Amino acid sequence: MAKQLMLRAVGIDKRFGPTHAVDHISLDFAKGEIHALIGENGSGKSTFTNMLTGIIPIGEGTFELDGAQIVPKNQVDANHLGAAVIVQEQGTLDSLTVAENMFLGDEDQFMSRGIKNTPAMYRKAQELLDSYGLGRIKASDPIEHYNFEDRKLVEIVKSTWFKPKVLVVDETTTALSQNGRDILFDVMRTVRDDGRTVIFICHDMSEVLMMSDTISILRDGEFIATVSASEVDESKLKTLMVGRQMSERYYREDYGCPLTGDVALSMRKVSVPGQLEEVSLDLHKGEILGIGGLSECGMHEVGKALFGASYDRVGEVVLGDGTPIDSIDTAINHSIAYASKDRDNESLLINDTIQDNITLPSLRRMGLPLRAGELRDFAATYANVMSTKMVGVDQFVSALSGGNKQKVVLSRWLGAGSDILVLDSPTRGIDIKVKADIYALLDMMRREGKAILVISEEIMELIGMCDRIIVMKDRKIAGELERRPDMTEQDLIALMV
Amino acid sequence: MTDTVNAATAKSVRANLCKAIESGKLRSVLPILGFVLIVAFFAIATGGRLVQPNNVRLILNSTYVLLIASIGVFMIMSMGSLDFSQGSMIGLSCIVVCELSQTSLPLAILGGIACGMVVGSINAYFHVRRQIPSFIVTICMMFLVRGIVAYLTTNAPAMGAGYLQADLNTTGFLLPVTIACLVAFYLVFTFTPLGATLKAVGAGQTAARFAGVSVARTKTLVYIAAGAITGFAAFVLAIRNGSVTATGGSMLETQIMLALVLGGLPISGGAKVRFSNIVVGVLTYCVLDRGLVMMGLQTDMKQFITGIVFLIFLALFSDRESIQVIK
Repeated sequence: MAKQLMLRAVGIDKRFGPTHAVDHISLDFAKGEIHALIGENGSGKSTFTNMLTGIIPIGEGTFELDGAQIVPKNQVDANHLGAAVIVQEQGTLDSLTVAENMFLGDEDQFMSRGIKNTPAMYRKAQELLDSYGLGRIKASDPIEHYNFEDRKLVEIVKSTWFKPKVLVVDETTTALSQNGRDILFDVMRTVRDDGRTVIFICHDMSEVLMMSDTISILRDGEFIATVSASEVDESKLKTLMVGRQMSERYYREDYGCPLTGDVALSMRKVSVPGQLEEVSLDLHKGEILGIGGLSECGMHEVGKALFGASYDRVGEVVLGDGTPIDSIDTAINHSIAYASKDRDNESLLINDTIQDNITLPSLRRMGLPLRAGELRDFAATYANVMSTKMVGVDQFVSALSGGNKQKVVLSRWLGAGSDILVLDSPTRGIDIKVKADIYALLDMMRREGKAILVISEEIMELIGMCDRIIVMKDRKIAGELERRPDMTEQDLIALMV
Repeated sequence: MTDTVNAATAKSVRANLCKAIESGKLRSVLPILGFVLIVAFFAIATGGRLVQPNNVRLILNSTYVLLIASIGVFMIMSMGSLDFSQGSMIGLSCIVVCELSQTSLPLAILGGIACGMVVGSINAYFHVRRQIPSFIVTICMMFLVRGIVAYLTTNAPAMGAGYLQADLNTTGFLLPVTIACLVAFYLVFTFTPLGATLKAVGAGQTAARFAGVSVARTKTLVYIAAGAITGFAAFVLAIRNGSVTATGGSMLETQIMLALVLGGLPISGGAKVRFSNIVVGVLTYCVLDRGLVMMGLQTDMKQFITGIVFLIFLALFSDRESIQVIK
């Protein structure tokens, strides 16, 4: 039996300046299905769904939802028309309560004669939270009392309680723990079994295969294919996404590489209030040292502490020769590089050019006078080493996709000639092709004798790339593992929890 | 038939223009275009009198103080901060210059600069150390210093030594001095890391910090340097006026900031800041001001029209995309 049509996109198109983000995509979504949209960073998945849900205006083309054309003016309007979205980044507003966030733009239902019935709103919000199994979240609390994951869960309720015809789940799972994912997956199944439609954007192929009925692949803004989830496997999907055969393994394949005795950088009993407690570690030349743990275990602060960027740090960070690293200034002068997990705020000047971003830490080493031509060549050289996809080095970083942004960050530190690299979540939100590039770069730098510290929430990445893995738990080091071929995720998880 | 063709052409021209403005390529030349338009308009409206040597000299005379003082504010605004205390700062420095000029000229210059640096470092202390937004700090400072200026000139204006106005108030002295200041700043801004550093702070303080920019130190030094530059501008003001009253330098802060914005400086600073913003902006402002005077407008009417012109300029030229919170 052919399924009934829920949503039909016809010739949807969007350009951002010179970038053709979505190129005349026509696509059908059936009732009662979870339909995954996959593709590399910058393939146009989010741009496509953002037009559907009123986050950005439609460039060209039409959306027909349940037989009627819709042109959402904004997100609230899209909700009323029947299209809702759970976005990739933070989608709730500080200084409002949980309930106010849930009914943002929809307060009218609690209005009578111009007065808002706040208790009624809180009651309804709490009922909804309870029905999703989130009774521990209080509707009347300010939203900022809750952490990123809980806020994401509130957003799930906010986007689904009114039973939208189409629900877009945009790369939401990366922000959630297993428990949160289960809640989200339940919601998605409910929507499907109800005869409505879920559009599921996700980089994790196993999740895509597990959850979806139908999968559509986009590449460089163009529609490539729609396949049934039961007919494909991971490698088939990857091939469709990248457009060529991917080698199955992209991690390192060597084992038993001995550590050099040369210590490049060490921490001695470093504490940061609320973040780290007496953490000591040595990073050697020519090794990739991994740090893993649960999100809140303090591992992200290790990177900041090593880079001299922690406030209120106690204890020592020293180079192999004993030189103390107490500020970002001394860190950079001793060729330490740092890439933050918070790429858009801490690593990159988003509203600035690729050139300015790449040259900034190297200006101090360049002789005066600085010349515009030399700066441009410098930036172009290192951007090209990383094969950054760009129009030119005067392009603004804000126009780049996540993977290319990270390439700009790495180009910057390659340009600065860094010997010690501290990389926090280097492949977060990055597609497999760029991931493979980054892994290849790390392995090359390791063989050149550089010292590399990788902080990561992705266990497979740690197992695949690191010579040693330090696992953290509750702000302290819980254990250390040596690289070996038969290491499993369970070995690390056992130390984390 | 021709009408439809014309309409179609006009439409495509407009579409292309809009596209060019959006792409940002045209935006960088718009302020220059605005300057040319203003000059052309007043040249015609005054029957050519605006471009007569006499008036050109008057306009030039009115640019010196603004051009020099704008350098400091330009640095501050590049970082996405603001400074409203410049007018009262120049008033106070001017009193110092006038008083010390009775003793010696070099002492007067140094005294004016030192006075500006003191006010600038107080701004820096409250903005950087106490983390108070710059516009609030400098508005408070504006009232505080204006009060001191009024107190010091309660009985009589502060009079500069006779030689200030008699010997130094010539184009032959002031023009080279102003140009020297601009050239010196241009060289430092373009050929040392200063320019990139200021823009980086404006584009994003946190990211700049993680790229090795010492944000707190940069801000502190810039506020003190801006004070020093304004202190030097006060010396030029003393030459021009010969004395200071309680309102000496008042409204200068607004004039500077508006001039810079007319010159195309993004209000939030950052990547799109250009040195030319200073020169183009101040010249546009001074031509506009002089042109309105020459058309015989009274002060109230002049302010009214200046306000309208600013709003039109801003609506047309300002880069709304990059405007964020003013720090």
